[in-house]
Amino acid sequence: MRTGIFMLALAASILFAPGAHSASDPATDKLLKSTSDHTKFKALQQDFASGPEVTKACLGCHTEAAKQIHKTEHWKWEYTSPEGQLLGKKNVINNFCTSVASNEAACNSCHVGYGWKDDSFDFTSEVSVDCLVCHDTTGNYRKPAGLAGNVVTRDMEFPPGSGKILKAIDLKKIAQSVAKTSRDTCGACHFYGGGGDGVKHGDMDSSLAAPEKELDVHMDALGLNFSCATCHMTKGHQVPGSRYAPTAQDKGGARVRGKEYKTNPTTCQSCHGQAPHKKIAKLNDHTDKVACQTCHVPTYARGGVATKLSWDWSTAGKMGPDGKPLTKKDAKGHVIYTAAKGDFVLGENVVPEYLWFNGRVRYTLQRDKVEKSSYPTRINHFEGSARDGKSLIWPVKIMRGKQAYDPVNKTLAVLHMAGNDDTAFWTNFNWEKAVATGMASVGTPFSGKVDFLETESSWPLTHMVAPAKDALRCHQCHKANGRLEKVPDIYIPGRASDHAAWLDSAGWALALLTLLGVLGHGLGRVLVTMRKK
Amino acid sequence: MNAKLSTIGTLSLGLLACGLLMSAAHGAEGDWKRGRVYYQRVCTDCHKAKTGAPVAPNSRTIADWTAYLNADKHAKGTESLKKYVSKEYRASIKASNKAAEKYADVPDEQLFNDVKAFMLKGAKDGDSPASCS
Repeated sequence: MRTGIFMLALAASILFAPGAHSASDPATDKLLKSTSDHTKFKALQQDFASGPEVTKACLGCHTEAAKQIHKTEHWKWEYTSPEGQLLGKKNVINNFCTSVASNEAACNSCHVGYGWKDDSFDFTSEVSVDCLVCHDTTGNYRKPAGLAGNVVTRDMEFPPGSGKILKAIDLKKIAQSVAKTSRDTCGACHFYGGGGDGVKHGDMDSSLAAPEKELDVHMDALGLNFSCATCHMTKGHQVPGSRYAPTAQDKGGARVRGKEYKTNPTTCQSCHGQAPHKKIAKLNDHTDKVACQTCHVPTYARGGVATKLSWDWSTAGKMGPDGKPLTKKDAKGHVIYTAAKGDFVLGENVVPEYLWFNGRVRYTLQRDKVEKSSYPTRINHFEGSARDGKSLIWPVKIMRGKQAYDPVNKTLAVLHMAGNDDTAFWTNFNWEKAVATGMASVGTPFSGKVDFLETESSWPLTHMVAPAKDALRCHQCHKANGRLEKVPDIYIPGRASDHAAWLDSAGWALALLTLLGVLGHGLGRVLVTMRKK
Repeated sequence: MNAKLSTIGTLSLGLLACGLLMSAAHGAEGDWKRGRVYYQRVCTDCHKAKTGAPVAPNSRTIADWTAYLNADKHAKGTESLKKYVSKEYRASIKASNKAAEKYADVPDEQLFNDVKAFMLKGAKDGDSPASCS
């Protein structure tokens, strides 16, 4: 009897215990993923009042992590190109929200650090490194715009006097739940580049958090389920595959385990090699001229999130009939005008534009001279040609815009947009004041005059890789006015610009002559045979 | 003798309680990411197809969703909500639904907790309000 009770209890405890579940239960999954359970670390069993307090606890074990981060572009927001241009978010101007300078408190919610609100930020501080923004697994970590990358640990009204309450996050729970990066953590910033979901890149938005196969064959949440780091294979926190240092053409083969590589691991070739098409081998003849993405990213912004295709700052500042800043939406509910930002054009399922690209990108930087003309100023320019042996035909998103510049000094304007001060454009809608503050923040002369010029920027498309069945078909390029109609210096059978009427006539004439010859020969044979009879 | 019996009884009850507590604690912890995929690919897709109107997690508060999930009523109370995360249901649609196929062997209670974790997290007043997509 006693033994029976004991056995029953034992059986019940085993039956109801987590270990009884199959390998698909989260506890087992978690166990198999890591040798550390962060809930068990004493350093993390405390209430944290700030982000740096968490970092201090992390560094207690991960002693070199902050030093590694200090060497990354994610920390420095600075990169020197092979051509010697000083780039990175800290230095470039784009044609979305234009620049970080003078807007640090707002923009730097996407910095992997805490407290970068102005030039006084200490880039050598280890506790200012934000571990959680990349390693959170709860999905609850937030760095609200306006707080210079800091987190909220007590409910607070922000902006002050607005009546809007920012909810505190539970840093202890988040710190105890850390693990590898995920699409959600990377996406918390990269999906929202340009100031909103899908705004900037076109091939990255929140639809990639848990995508279907049709949206991205690699990230398919029910299939391969790649995280970003599956391709962006990180070493010592250095994340390869930045758009500042793109690889346009990878002539290497598929990588082999155990072998050391110094090349970019994010290319298609690093897994698929140079001859990836097994069923239709003819397609492999294209890979020396055409990037994989050209066929396999047939359209972008496919996940139901619209991307911005143009942005006209010159119309910003309009008030509605009620005297309040005007906002307009299109039939689908997309915001197409705000007083703070001007007019937008948005698009979904957008067909890319195509150009030769050799991996070198030249930027128009803030101190470079610009001219108002009938041609748009290229904020960045993808270099490449059919003849340099380094270029492939790439799909790109071209962002078009009209943005502020100083017509006297002929430089692009740095715009102070966000802030509670009197000069922020989003507070007072005064261009001269906003540009004066922005230019002063980077030490560039400002004439006091503001005008607008047309600009373009290019963005390589490499995510949202469709399954083979949805890739471009032959006829989408090999026809008149097909996808690659405007790509220069290459012969593409079937396209209008490669169509020569005289060549067609000569060909048909040859065919006709051949037919006549055959018929004549046959007729001759018949006649000779008849004569013999 | 009685003392020995009492010791074994106490140990047995302790083991039982321990097992039940572990189960409860485990059950309460859902994998919100798996819940998100199931919610989007099964719940939302079916709602879209049958009613044309999917229900976003951020359309209700945590209290609303908790009451709804605890009541275990679906389709205006005509059927059990838990039926739609059951293995039987998943087996019935797995030929045409990849999420049901992939999660075919996940225990019912666990999958229910996964979906619950996503819904509460994504509620209007949750930690991370979520739309249908």
